[in-house]
Amino acid sequence: MRRTLKNSLAALAALALIPASVTAHTVKGTHTGSVTALTNYSSGTFHGAVDIGAGGRCNYWGAETGVVGSVYWAVTIRTSGVVCNGNGSGNQNEARHAWASGWTFRQWHWIKTADSRNRTCDRCQVGNIGGTGNSTGPHAHLQQDKLGTKDTAWYRGYVSVGTAVTRAKTIGVLD
Amino acid sequence: MPRLFRSARSAMGLLALTLCPLLPAGARAAPPEAPPALRASTCSVRGLMDDIRRGLGSGSAAYKRYLRTLLREAAVTLPDAELREAFARETDPLMAEHLAAALVARAEREADLTAMDAVARRAVEDADPAVRAATLRAMRRTGALEKTGDLYERMVRDESPQVRQEAATNLIEDNAHVYAGQYGPAADTAVAAAAASNDPEVTARILDNLSTEKISPESAERIQSLLRSDDANVRKAAVNALGGVPAERMQGSREALLGMYREEKDPGVRKALLQSIAQLGFEGAIPDLQRLRAMDPRLAGEADAWIEVLGMGLQEWSLLLREKQRLQQAP
Repeated sequence: MRRTLKNSLAALAALALIPASVTAHTVKGTHTGSVTALTNYSSGTFHGAVDIGAGGRCNYWGAETGVVGSVYWAVTIRTSGVVCNGNGSGNQNEARHAWASGWTFRQWHWIKTADSRNRTCDRCQVGNIGGTGNSTGPHAHLQQDKLGTKDTAWYRGYVSVGTAVTRAKTIGVLD
Repeated sequence: MPRLFRSARSAMGLLALTLCPLLPAGARAAPPEAPPALRASTCSVRGLMDDIRRGLGSGSAAYKRYLRTLLREAAVTLPDAELREAFARETDPLMAEHLAAALVARAEREADLTAMDAVARRAVEDADPAVRAATLRAMRRTGALEKTGDLYERMVRDESPQVRQEAATNLIEDNAHVYAGQYGPAADTAVAAAAASNDPEVTARILDNLSTEKISPESAERIQSLLRSDDANVRKAAVNALGGVPAERMQGSREALLGMYREEKDPGVRKALLQSIAQLGFEGAIPDLQRLRAMDPRLAGEADAWIEVLGMGLQEWSLLLREKQRLQQAP
């Protein structure tokens, strides 16, 4: 049989181009850093989200939306200046996508830039990694919630505290 | 200040491209004891197209998922000019769709903000309806509604029924899966296209499958104007669409539907009217439904079912629908 690796991969490459309905969405890293908090802080306090630190680098990495696939992002600017170490709870800048299921995926704490605007995209930049809102240092906070309940299952098994993150790293999967 | 925020994206693209040098250059069978020699080759649009043509016969859901991801990443690093030229030259609808998908992926990753324009232009201008339909499919479940102006109002008037239906599918799926029915301008674009179409099937299909909870007052008026359509399916779809309008449009829609019931002759449309009146009023619609019940004995059972379900005091429309279905399925 004259079927080679190249032909096999070529066949697969063709299939990759065929549109198909996919309901699950993978979440990738928003910048280069490491996971600093998950369901509970080290103190034991409930957190219910993924924090990706930036090694103390503020306003350096672009804050990319993590959801793979084209979805609409609604951007809310609550802080216009450069804030790296927090300026009070509720003042975080936010990018969010509301799913038809009623769940909402949110990304917090980034610094406003010219890219901070509502739009549909597949992993685009909405600002720079910073520490707006309730924050002790520059990081990205990724959270899925519905009616006040936080989903802690979407990232379970994909990352743990200390996991190194790049934009190629899968952080979790949203159903 | 250096900005490294593009670096990870480039790295992902390069990662995808590293697959290419791993591919054996030829199609020679290798002896079982010795793996084929690997020779570096360059990933190009032409090479990609050749691979696609050769690989169309295979099928595996897992491979599809894997390679869709690969394509999405690789599209960002494909040479822009070569990709556009190949797309412009391609006349085979299937290949055109794949090349268009690569261009759309570049636009969605914001690697090439104008790439979507090239695809949209082809969707409008190509002489072959199969190519127009293929390029529309490539824009499905993306941000095309935000980036293509009045494209969809034009496409739903296309001379080809296939193209009109593909445009309708895009409007429905984009609203449902990209915007989750929560973005008013996208729903308004769909309503405008539905109203602009001369194809009753397209108009009815869009309105029947669209969430109208965020539409503008202008869109609500457009839908109301379709209540006077000569086509019963369009009237029925417009009735369905008006059942889900935003709170500030509920009173006007309710009055329009109540006024329509008396004149409407089609029992299917009347049945839809009962449902939308129930959806707009919940428990408050019971007196209206009791009044309408007497007008058409054929639908007395339907009106009774709605009256009973609305009397349960449920506060979610999905729960009301479920109870109504359960009630009518009970022996």
